[in-house]
Amino acid sequence: MAAASLPAAQPAPLRAVRRFLSSYGLILVLLAMPVAFGIQDLRTEGDLSRLANNLLDGLSNGSVWALVAIGYTLVYGIVELINFAHGEVFMIGSFVAAGFFGTIGLTAATGGAGLVLGLLLTLVLAMLASGVLNTMIERVAYRPLRNAPKLAPLITAVGFSFILQNVGLLWRGGSQQSIIDLVKSQKELFNVFGVSVTNGDALAVCVTIPLVLLMTAFIAKSRLGKAMRATAQDPDAARLMGINVDTTISATFMIGGMLAGAAGLIYALYQTTVWYFQGFTAGLIAFTAAVMGGIGNIRGAVLGGLIIGFIQQLSDNRIGTQWTPAIVFAYLVMIMVFKPSGLLGEETREAG
Amino acid sequence: MPELPRNVRIALTVAVIAFGALLPLFVEGGGGFIDDATLALAYVVMALGLNIIVGFAGLLDLGYVAFFAIGAYTMGYFGSLFHINVNGGEGLHVLVAGPAAELPGIHANFLIIVVLAIVATTVAGMLIGLPTLRLRGDYIAIVTLAFGEIVGRIAINGDEIAGFGTKLTNGRQGITPVDKIDLPFSEPFTALNLRPWYWVAFTMVLIVLFVNFRLRDSRLGRAWIALREDEVAAVSMGVPLVKTKLLAYGTGAAFGGVSGAFLGSYLNTVNADQFQFAFSIFILAMVILGGLGSIWGVVVGAIALSFINNRLIPDVLNDVPERIGLDFDLTELSFGIFGFLLVIMMILRPEGLIPERRRQLELGEGIEDLAKTGDDDDPVYQARVP
Amino acid sequence: MSPEQENILEAHGVTKQFGGLTAVNDVSFAIPQGSIVSLIGPNGAGKTTFFNILTGLYKPTLGRVAFSGKNITAGRPDKIMALGVARTFQNIRLFGTMTAIENVMVGQHARMKAGLFGSIFRPPWVRGEEQRVRAKAAETLEYVGLRSGVHDQLATNLSYGDQRRVEIARALASEPRLLLLDEPTAGMNAQESESLTRFMQKLRDDFGLSILLIEHDMRVVMGVSEHVTVLDHGEKISEGEPQAVRSDPQVVEAYLGKQEAERQRAEQEGAV
Ligand SMILES: Nc1ncnc2c1ncn2[C@@H]1O[C@H](COP(=O)(O)OP(=O)(O)O)[C@@H](O)[C@H]1O
Ligand SMILES: [Mg+2]
Repeated sequence: MAAASLPAAQPAPLRAVRRFLSSYGLILVLLAMPVAFGIQDLRTEGDLSRLANNLLDGLSNGSVWALVAIGYTLVYGIVELINFAHGEVFMIGSFVAAGFFGTIGLTAATGGAGLVLGLLLTLVLAMLASGVLNTMIERVAYRPLRNAPKLAPLITAVGFSFILQNVGLLWRGGSQQSIIDLVKSQKELFNVFGVSVTNGDALAVCVTIPLVLLMTAFIAKSRLGKAMRATAQDPDAARLMGINVDTTISATFMIGGMLAGAAGLIYALYQTTVWYFQGFTAGLIAFTAAVMGGIGNIRGAVLGGLIIGFIQQLSDNRIGTQWTPAIVFAYLVMIMVFKPSGLLGEETREAG
Repeated sequence: MPELPRNVRIALTVAVIAFGALLPLFVEGGGGFIDDATLALAYVVMALGLNIIVGFAGLLDLGYVAFFAIGAYTMGYFGSLFHINVNGGEGLHVLVAGPAAELPGIHANFLIIVVLAIVATTVAGMLIGLPTLRLRGDYIAIVTLAFGEIVGRIAINGDEIAGFGTKLTNGRQGITPVDKIDLPFSEPFTALNLRPWYWVAFTMVLIVLFVNFRLRDSRLGRAWIALREDEVAAVSMGVPLVKTKLLAYGTGAAFGGVSGAFLGSYLNTVNADQFQFAFSIFILAMVILGGLGSIWGVVVGAIALSFINNRLIPDVLNDVPERIGLDFDLTELSFGIFGFLLVIMMILRPEGLIPERRRQLELGEGIEDLAKTGDDDDPVYQARVP
Repeated sequence: MSPEQENILEAHGVTKQFGGLTAVNDVSFAIPQGSIVSLIGPNGAGKTTFFNILTGLYKPTLGRVAFSGKNITAGRPDKIMALGVARTFQNIRLFGTMTAIENVMVGQHARMKAGLFGSIFRPPWVRGEEQRVRAKAAETLEYVGLRSGVHDQLATNLSYGDQRRVEIARALASEPRLLLLDEPTAGMNAQESESLTRFMQKLRDDFGLSILLIEHDMRVVMGVSEHVTVLDHGEKISEGEPQAVRSDPQVVEAYLGKQEAERQRAEQEGAV
């Protein structure tokens, strides 16, 4: 039919530009910094080893963000809520871990098997603490508001984030606190083509990858994982199928919190400092990662975390750490403008 | 609660205004109380601005501090020694008298600065609003928060950015001193007698209240509430989405700018450390405590929280933890207290202390179904950025 | 439909895809000026989606929509409403915390002029506009049969029937030339549906309105419409006079399923 091919209201070139931007705009934006700095490096130093080092450090930073971002994505996928307090759950995980080192007598001199065992124990404890905390927050602050207008739980989430920050402030004071460098995080483990891999990098990767794999398998295979996916799809239908939605939601918060706890431990070991405000920035960075990957999508959260880690490292290393938050937030805004559904996210209904 | 009769309402309003206007005469002009009261009034102006964005139009803005910052920097730019080299060190003076007229730097009359602050924050409000127009409510919250943080970061690190012979900001050092308010037909204000400051703040509150009431009961106010209640239905009924939302952002931001300019002068400093996320939440807590969308509620909420924060916690209750054997001051807890307040209010009394008339009237249960947006079966409006 | 009769709305080859799902597929369709026509079809056929395209809530993937000769394809909903297309929703969408009369006043938004400064300073013309709009809203509410006692009640507190009435009043107050009603009799009993049928005819006669109706209740459809279009799985499977459409085997099949349709056909043949 002839009428079908009539142009719609918008002129064709504009539509083409818009379509192009909505498909590739985000990728272009993401490539801008590395490409610019890469060219700069080639010009001034003749090789890309500085960029490669940035990339490696970025990836180990990013694996922490990935773990935190998964928590955002899981929770958002299932209750459509930005768990604003998630960053603080991560911070508490760090604090618990840092406190526990002393309790079980880990010192900078502890080596070998003792260290591995001690760290594993700390990992379990930090994960449990953060997981339970996150579940409790859901129970107290979000569940009573499940049928309220959407903004209500978001506001309680912000409230809880402040409460936990204050807990952190009372616990360890208002300034950055350094903690023992158990794993000698800056010590070079090995070096390939000028790229230096440190203990901290290795630790970050060694904890993150198994955890992510374990969790993906759990969600794909286990009964609880299936219940989570069903509830995320359609809570009412899930309820009709006999799934206990409340339990499933609690479990989701538990898992998200546990990953944040693990991230907290890595952060403490890697950065060798903790402070009450680390959760605020971390939370926003990880949320940016989750949105970048496509909220609700676990692989997306991991990808987003790694990318954001890289961007953060580039900015820290080349522009100045004091600007990094502003740059990450600028990315967040750009993602929202160009592609709110993220890199791997499904087109939401709005975008249909 | 039935509406009060018209003449009772008028009498009450007149009584409240008279009380507010005469209050300074009964207290010490340089004392702590009038200082608190002036601050509280400045916060009322901001809370009423945020109330337009969050309470009327239903757009959760977590970056309101950006407008405080922009308003305050307008004051700093055009009423201090900040641009010290301008005009070859001679300074630029626009309708100022008193000590400021002799100083280098740009010095404009306070009323001019207020107008500039309104323009700057309105534009900023609309710019911040633009990218959020196609987003859902919770994303709006995060994007505005991100903008607020970006503005805050620029304020803190702006001393690294220079151009045209001047820095962008003074960073953590702050811009200080800042010109005192200098109005026509009055002596320049001083830090010794706070009464004139109070009256200026009180006048701002009256103007902002007037604007709020007028807007609430107008075509625009109805359009805001309609958008808040159901965006799809509102646009289908002829409410232009982009324009109406941007007007909410712009108007709400302008109040923040006015108050910011006033505070810049009153506090005698434009310090980057003031412009933090916590401040946005402080103002939001005022709106929520009083009652989203409720004008009188927000006034009460702002005054209450302002006094709690500036007097009750630091002076009256500060040593309570110590007295019961804990080794910290209550001031260290202030943000936890506000966070707790948000949680408690949302769970136990989401409509606030003095609920909006509309929410007060609502008795049935259906409200949640109607107010909830983004129902899965409903068509979702494909909003377009212009 | 005779050629000299003007069409108030024409849709050509309208298609809407959601990802892989084609909710409306190449539907062409016209509403003659001053007529009442119906759009029917089983649940999920794409009727509401089609409405959303006409009112600008959805951009069609393909196709064109014209309202009284003007191209409104993918136009902004508020602009389309201002041109004279008003609608109601399948699941009532009133503004819950606004009173009945305020809801109807919002319906007149596009017919008002007061802007930001007009609203703040409220000069005489704005005052006059407010009064006019309020009076008209009250009048419209009376017209749809809402007792004046409940005009100042919050929309959420109204009975279901009254909510439907307010929604129609809200649409009418914008002085539309075309009214789109999405399953207005849902949840009504036979008697109420009957009175709504008469009401639609009255609307047409009083205001010269054209009406497009999505409806499940066949009695309403048969009683009121001059022309019926049937959608199934997004495709137009039949259209024409109500009686003709009712006996179209494809339509029967779409509604009752293949087996049932064959059984009926066999029965009929047996009877003959
Ligand atoms: N926004 C949307 N996103 C994805 N699918 C949609 C959307 N709106 C409607 N659909 C789908 O389009 C089909 C037609 O729906 P609808 O127009 O509501 O049918 P009807 O009103 O005829 O019952 C359904 O399969 C529905 O799930
Ligand atoms: Mg439908």
